[in-house]
Amino acid sequence: MLYEISQLKQIYGSRTVLDIHLLEIQAGGVYALLGPNGAGKTTLLKILAFLETPSQGTIRYGAETVHFTESRLQLLRKTVVLAEQNPILFTASVFKNLEFGLKVRKVPKPNRQAIIEGALDLVGMRAFIHAPAHRLSGGETQRVALARALVVSPRVLLCDEPTASVDAEHQAAIVRILRNINLEKKITVILSTHDRFHAQTLAHHTLYLNEGILTGESEENIFRAESGILQDGSVLLTVGGVLRLPLPSDRIPSAGPLRIAIDSEKILLVKDGSGIFATVRQVGDAKDKIRAVVDAGLPIVLMLSRKTYRDQAPMVGDRVGLAFPPESIRVL
Amino acid sequence: MTFLIDSVRSAILLVFALDPELVNIVAVSLKVSGSSTIVAALLGVPLGFLIAFERFKAKRMVITVLNTLLAVPTVVVGLFVYTFISRRGILGAFDLLYTQKAMIIGQVILVLPLVTALTIAAVSRIDDRYRKTAMTLGANRLQTGWVVFREARFGVVSAVIAAFGRVIAEVGVVMMLGGNARGFTRTMTTAMALEYDKGEFTLAVALGIILLALSFGLNILFNLFQGRSRI
Repeated sequence: MLYEISQLKQIYGSRTVLDIHLLEIQAGGVYALLGPNGAGKTTLLKILAFLETPSQGTIRYGAETVHFTESRLQLLRKTVVLAEQNPILFTASVFKNLEFGLKVRKVPKPNRQAIIEGALDLVGMRAFIHAPAHRLSGGETQRVALARALVVSPRVLLCDEPTASVDAEHQAAIVRILRNINLEKKITVILSTHDRFHAQTLAHHTLYLNEGILTGESEENIFRAESGILQDGSVLLTVGGVLRLPLPSDRIPSAGPLRIAIDSEKILLVKDGSGIFATVRQVGDAKDKIRAVVDAGLPIVLMLSRKTYRDQAPMVGDRVGLAFPPESIRVL
Repeated sequence: MTFLIDSVRSAILLVFALDPELVNIVAVSLKVSGSSTIVAALLGVPLGFLIAFERFKAKRMVITVLNTLLAVPTVVVGLFVYTFISRRGILGAFDLLYTQKAMIIGQVILVLPLVTALTIAAVSRIDDRYRKTAMTLGANRLQTGWVVFREARFGVVSAVIAAFGRVIAEVGVVMMLGGNARGFTRTMTTAMALEYDKGEFTLAVALGIILLALSFGLNILFNLFQGRSRI
């Protein structure tokens, strides 16, 4: 086990931005951290990068329990590098940018050139070795920042939204680079992203963070809902003001506002004219499943098995019926 | 108008003739102001950097005090130093009054808050991502500080140039602590004040031209440095 995090909390003022009971990260894997803005992804990455000290909890890293003293953290930081969402390059040449991490690690000067050229080769930026870093484009900056992180041969590479602010060409290149370094150099990669497609194609494990809480490996469809008790004692959830879902009463602690997650794999497509009607907006390939986004007054994601997809063949623009079995709904 | 043109013409002749008195005044000015700028930079730049880089409780208070000190008139600084170094002062035994050392001490005190405050401003403006990037690349505190300082270098050089501009052009401290002794503590500004009092404008205008030329030269030098440093 590379990281073993338990009972971790990060509190800013009166706001708890992270509350993780248990998180285990295996060495050599690629982990995608998904979640909406403000979910705590960047905070978690900073803690994993030993740049922030959590308010509570313990972290085991490799064989040691992390003691959050500056001198200890500084040593640990020599094995973990965080590439930020909007990286900033030092006002110097690309070479000098990459040389910094090597200088800090006291790599002898004669060895540096070859190591730097190797790292730039990995990201396809060797031609820019003597270019002034501040004249690079956004995508080039992102790639050089990645090379600057890789040049020090870290054990773990943490990437905060690596593909968020670059064009499609650079996105594909960055995904390819991350996959290659994981395969060839056995570097553990942990990346935060909004893009489920990149997460699914690249990551071995997907972690979902919502309001600082890890909510499972594949959850989408997180909504605010209002619960009301009906006369027969059952519960009616009103989701986003448009979707009404009946539930057995034992599933809801009390009436009032709450947050729910609807499991995208447990939503059923029904053909008999029953269920809640929705219009198919997107259909796409997602590894061994088919991912469909439907509009039922609010966007809902369905993960269909290939068999269901073949049988029912929902096409973009089709009106379909959705059924939400009670086990598909989880109160957060 | 003729009077002004005549003064300027005579002044230019004086400059090109390298008049010994003029050369001496300029040399004293450069020596005193240069020394005080170097001392103020050696003290103020690290102090400003530490205040900006470190996190401590009274930080805001310290910055407010420094900003207040920026507005202190030169005569107040002169008077303050005078009380210490005059024969009756606690440093009277060192016999500093009316020496170049006294002028340097006064100018350092005058300009130290300026160097410190401008260094704080220069370092504070640096994007915090530089610090975090250096840290995540494994840098220790000193190495991280150096990265931030390096990014702030243009602002820091500006602070030092501004300090030199302030001391070379000030008259209060050098007059009160130097005494305007000919050939010894007479600077460009005190000489200009004296010549004005005497109604002799030629030397005053010549010194004014040199002062402006110096300031212009310094700015060119700074721009060259900035242009070359940005690769």
